[in-house]
Amino acid sequence: MYKSFISGLIIILIGSNAISQSLGDFYAGIRIQKTHNLYYENGITLDYTHNFLLSKKIHLGFSFFTSRLGSAYNSNAIKQDNYLVTATCIFKNEKIISPLIQVNTGWFYSDMEEKMFESIPHTSPLLSLEAGFQLHLHFPVNAKATIGYNFITGDGINGPGTLYPLFYEFSIYYKFL
Amino acid sequence: MVPELYIRYFMSSVFIINFYNFSVMSSQKGSYIFFLIFCFVFLISCSKQPPIDNNTMLDGDKVFDPSIAHPEKYLISAADTNPTEQQKETPVVIAVHGYSATTFEWDEFRHWADSVGKFYVSQVLLGGHGHDYEIFKKATWEDWQKPIINEYRKLDSLGFKKISLIGSSTGCPLILEMVYSGKIKTNNYPKHIMMVDPIIIPSAKTLSLVDYVGPMVGYVKTPLDYGEQGHWYQYRPEESLNQLLEFIDMVRKKLENGIVLPVNTTLKVYKSLKDPSADPVSAVLLYKGTKCHNGNHIDMEMADSKLHVFTRLQGRNSYTAKDKELQLKTFEDIASIIDE
Repeated sequence: MYKSFISGLIIILIGSNAISQSLGDFYAGIRIQKTHNLYYENGITLDYTHNFLLSKKIHLGFSFFTSRLGSAYNSNAIKQDNYLVTATCIFKNEKIISPLIQVNTGWFYSDMEEKMFESIPHTSPLLSLEAGFQLHLHFPVNAKATIGYNFITGDGINGPGTLYPLFYEFSIYYKFL
Repeated sequence: MVPELYIRYFMSSVFIINFYNFSVMSSQKGSYIFFLIFCFVFLISCSKQPPIDNNTMLDGDKVFDPSIAHPEKYLISAADTNPTEQQKETPVVIAVHGYSATTFEWDEFRHWADSVGKFYVSQVLLGGHGHDYEIFKKATWEDWQKPIINEYRKLDSLGFKKISLIGSSTGCPLILEMVYSGKIKTNNYPKHIMMVDPIIIPSAKTLSLVDYVGPMVGYVKTPLDYGEQGHWYQYRPEESLNQLLEFIDMVRKKLENGIVLPVNTTLKVYKSLKDPSADPVSAVLLYKGTKCHNGNHIDMEMADSKLHVFTRLQGRNSYTAKDKELQLKTFEDIASIIDE
């Protein structure tokens, strides 16, 4: 029984390694974001890389994070959601701490809740740049800490008023494939 | 505000980076030390004193808010030091102006109210305002708030029974903070609170960066219309902008947790939909975050206006007939609330 289990585990590991080599690396994790002088917005993040992406220097990803899991949880803060597609370039990938830059684009939605506020802008495209470090904590776990800047913000007339420029992000990933 | 701030920040950065490259490329042993000394000298040598015209600007030492010399013309507590019983029964509303403004912001309302003759208007000058740049620079948000508290307490001690409060822009969170923090220290709570274009979230999001960028720029110049000269500060020091940011951030967090008004106090908010200074989402935060004592929502009116503090038209370069109509309609609505 014990030998069968070990044999099975080895087969799975070899198999996943083979799949990983052919399909690339998949990571999933949580993203914690604090906007400077505004909200905490938390959510999930997915990350993918492959040898053909400049020897895994380029990572492509998707993030969904929301104030509903942050400042708006059980409070009167504005409920707002962010959907981001990301492209990350990691330098010196072999080091424990690797510098990175990341370009994000996506969609922002804030929930005004009441009909009388419907005419206030509450959606916007997102375009931001982040710079920071990736930390290879302990295989298969990675962490990332960055400072980001939203190039599109809102003034309440032409864009949502709770879309601020500066933010700090921390993500922790688990490599599941 | 935005272009000037960015240009100064960008030019400073470019200059420092170029000099850094020069220092590194020169490969001399003392380059780094020299570079650091240069940066220090460069930063401290940036002009932090704005070019103030003393003859025309409120920021200078010759133009002051008239309520400083003649408080009896603006404050009911100074005008009626021994009120009659009839006066004590007459409603009085304390009018609070916004950040960097003066009593001028509520002059039109005061004149209109005087013509109607149903209630008194007491125009408070915020602390640190209406004097000069240096006094403005040193004042904290608590300093701004003190005259409102003082006037309320004086009116209460003189026996006025129907005291209400009306604020514009930053005057609104100052009133709200004063009420929810129990600074009034009386059982004679305000009968009504009214807010015109309250600021909880600023429209210019660069204000959120003032704690980082502020020390480099020193101050921000505000464009004023011709008729506003001498009634608003033209230059906003970074120390003061930091106070503003800190204060509205504190009130925003309090709203997130929820504010309950005192018993029998009502609140009505008038908010311009296209306000270029106080983000309209401020109205959403106030509506969600403030409840009457009985649990009801506060009153909210979203106004179709492009002006910040649309109840003040005097001093603006131009305004439309629709703006004037909205102003009068709002004055009448405010009067009907005060008269309840």
